[in-house]
Amino acid sequence: MPSGTHEVQLNLSIDSIWNFISEMNNWAPLVPGYIEHQILSETQSTWKFKGDIGIMQKKVSLQIDITKWQEPDLVTFDLKGLNENFAGNGYFKAEAISDTQTKMTGNLDITAAGMMGPMINPILKSFVPKTATELTDNIANKLKELHPVTK
Amino acid sequence: MVVNKKINWDLEADVVVLGSGGAALTSALLAHDQGAKVVILEKANQVGGTTAFSGGIPWIPMNRYMKEMGIEDSKEEVNTYLNRLINGSEPDSELVDVFIDNGWKMIDYLHEHTQVRFKIPRGYGDYYADFPGGKVAGRSLDPTPFSLSGLGEYADKIRRNPIFPPLTLEEGGAADPSQADFSLIAERMENNITTMGRALIGAMFQAVLDRSIDTLLETPGKELVMNDNKEVIGVRAERNGKDFFVGARKGVIIATGGFEWNKQLVRSFLKQEVTHAASPAGNEGDGLIMAMEAGASLANMSEAWWYPIMQDPTIEYEDRVFNQLGSGRGVGNSIIVNKQGKRFVHEGTTYMDLPKSFYEFDPVTQTWPNKPPVWLIFDQNLKDRSLVLTMAPGEPAPDWVDQAPTLRELAEKIGVDPEGLESTVERFNSHAEKLEDPDFHRGTQHFENMMGGYQGPKGNIGPVEKAPFYALPIYAGTLGTNGGPRINKNGQVINLRGETIPGLYASGNAAMGVLGACYPGAGGTIGPAMTFGYLAGIDAGNTPSRNIAQTNLIESK
Repeated sequence: MPSGTHEVQLNLSIDSIWNFISEMNNWAPLVPGYIEHQILSETQSTWKFKGDIGIMQKKVSLQIDITKWQEPDLVTFDLKGLNENFAGNGYFKAEAISDTQTKMTGNLDITAAGMMGPMINPILKSFVPKTATELTDNIANKLKELHPVTK
Repeated sequence: MVVNKKINWDLEADVVVLGSGGAALTSALLAHDQGAKVVILEKANQVGGTTAFSGGIPWIPMNRYMKEMGIEDSKEEVNTYLNRLINGSEPDSELVDVFIDNGWKMIDYLHEHTQVRFKIPRGYGDYYADFPGGKVAGRSLDPTPFSLSGLGEYADKIRRNPIFPPLTLEEGGAADPSQADFSLIAERMENNITTMGRALIGAMFQAVLDRSIDTLLETPGKELVMNDNKEVIGVRAERNGKDFFVGARKGVIIATGGFEWNKQLVRSFLKQEVTHAASPAGNEGDGLIMAMEAGASLANMSEAWWYPIMQDPTIEYEDRVFNQLGSGRGVGNSIIVNKQGKRFVHEGTTYMDLPKSFYEFDPVTQTWPNKPPVWLIFDQNLKDRSLVLTMAPGEPAPDWVDQAPTLRELAEKIGVDPEGLESTVERFNSHAEKLEDPDFHRGTQHFENMMGGYQGPKGNIGPVEKAPFYALPIYAGTLGTNGGPRINKNGQVINLRGETIPGLYASGNAAMGVLGACYPGAGGTIGPAMTFGYLAGIDAGNTPSRNIAQTNLIESK
């Protein structure tokens, strides 16, 4: 099952991170290949992005359903393709190391199904971890930008 | 403008090969094996050109694999078959014979001196095998799977067609993948084992590496350098944004692909508009321009390897919507119509032949009624049964494909005449039920029968009757252009006076197509390309070296 988990450590409080993560519009543009998203309800949104799998780029529409909203440390979600036959889930997790240090973890788990699934899954095996890493790093970098360390 | 000036070569070789497709690499290998120092200059950051992007099938009569399988073939049969199809369109009749006489030698050479291997694909023969001299199998050669893992840093540099799964032609690499062995696909993807054009180029490039032939990527040839005797003695290329002069003691071989991505050249030469090329976008006629500057005579310039193209707008390749070969054409429960809702062509005919109908001119209305986009119209029966473009059976149709509960509504949606479409489908269906098509003779051609798995007309005809109905646009496309500098039996470029231009060769889609407007079977492109690449490599490699360092140089501008 193609999946990827990436963690980064930030010199920020868990609340700073939660404040940013809990507002989807803050980090939506940081999703690799982001095109647009639409918030349908508190728990449901649709997304369009362009996935670059090296040999080609694929525009993907998917729906995300938030399955757990546990302030200030965990968001879990399910996702499914709107035009393509794939589904999966993922989470953002924040763990306070101290008052000013937090470990942030991003996870994605996506599996293609249907006739083309066996052909697509080997491609997703490298794409999914790369995306999880890029997204987590992008969020971390944005947070660093918003909360510069002053000396 | 011609400028006299001294040039300091950044690099010198005996033979400079421009391009890295099938023709180019064959030339490079053969020139090297004659004892020449060879350097390959490639415009892209990937190796393989149009060949790697393609099925990688060379069409070669009388080849060794036919003999191994006991398939009889003779020059007389080949000539009979080709003459019927070429129909006088060849630029030079002698070169048709040269191709027939040397294609199998080229295959033998690669077999004996490289890891390039082929297999005769079962059930895949000449496209007009029912014509005299045609063969139901044997002349189209399927590259055997090749592991790229031995190519080191170049393993990821071999260009690929993003849609072709790693299956051979026989295994279904270019067909409806609904019957494909997906576990085999996954295993090959995991192990970097490739097939078709990528396998052919991979194996050839392995031979390039084995011979330590230098390949410079992202180094496009821009101008030929000629001395005051009008001999081609080198190339001005570009590398890292700067001029990069490469001297060629024996010659320069232009194998840079066609000009299908150069709108100006397309408008200048092709008899038909091409809007959707299914080839690497770097095929902009660089070699053609260089050859014209050197005074080359041109031939076969209005021809291309035509192809009806479809698009899944969600798939992009190198930042453009990918032009796909598509599927769903010429099988039951589908037709192709123009804006009037009328059928205008045998939908299951070859990809080379079908687009020729796009530009039928109506002198009464002064219009081209079949000008693309035209429309593939199909029903739920086909959708349920088969992969259509990228739409898998059993899955909901994506939002980018037009669909409607009735033909009328579908026609209105896509801007096609509703009455025209309804009456067309009504007529088509009334005959389709009897597996007949008196209007365009679906179900009668060898090609469509072969593509349908030899089921006979039931594999090609079926009514368009089950709602919802779907429509996909089809565009005027090409696998590459088929005209260029006129060449002789050694692949040497001929000038407007009929003389060779010393030191200049051309092969592949960068040269004139030796078979004219003919596409005899799968690999009608690559077979002649590699054969004349082979001949050019031998001749250039055996040409006496010239002293290019002491010559008073003229740079053509």
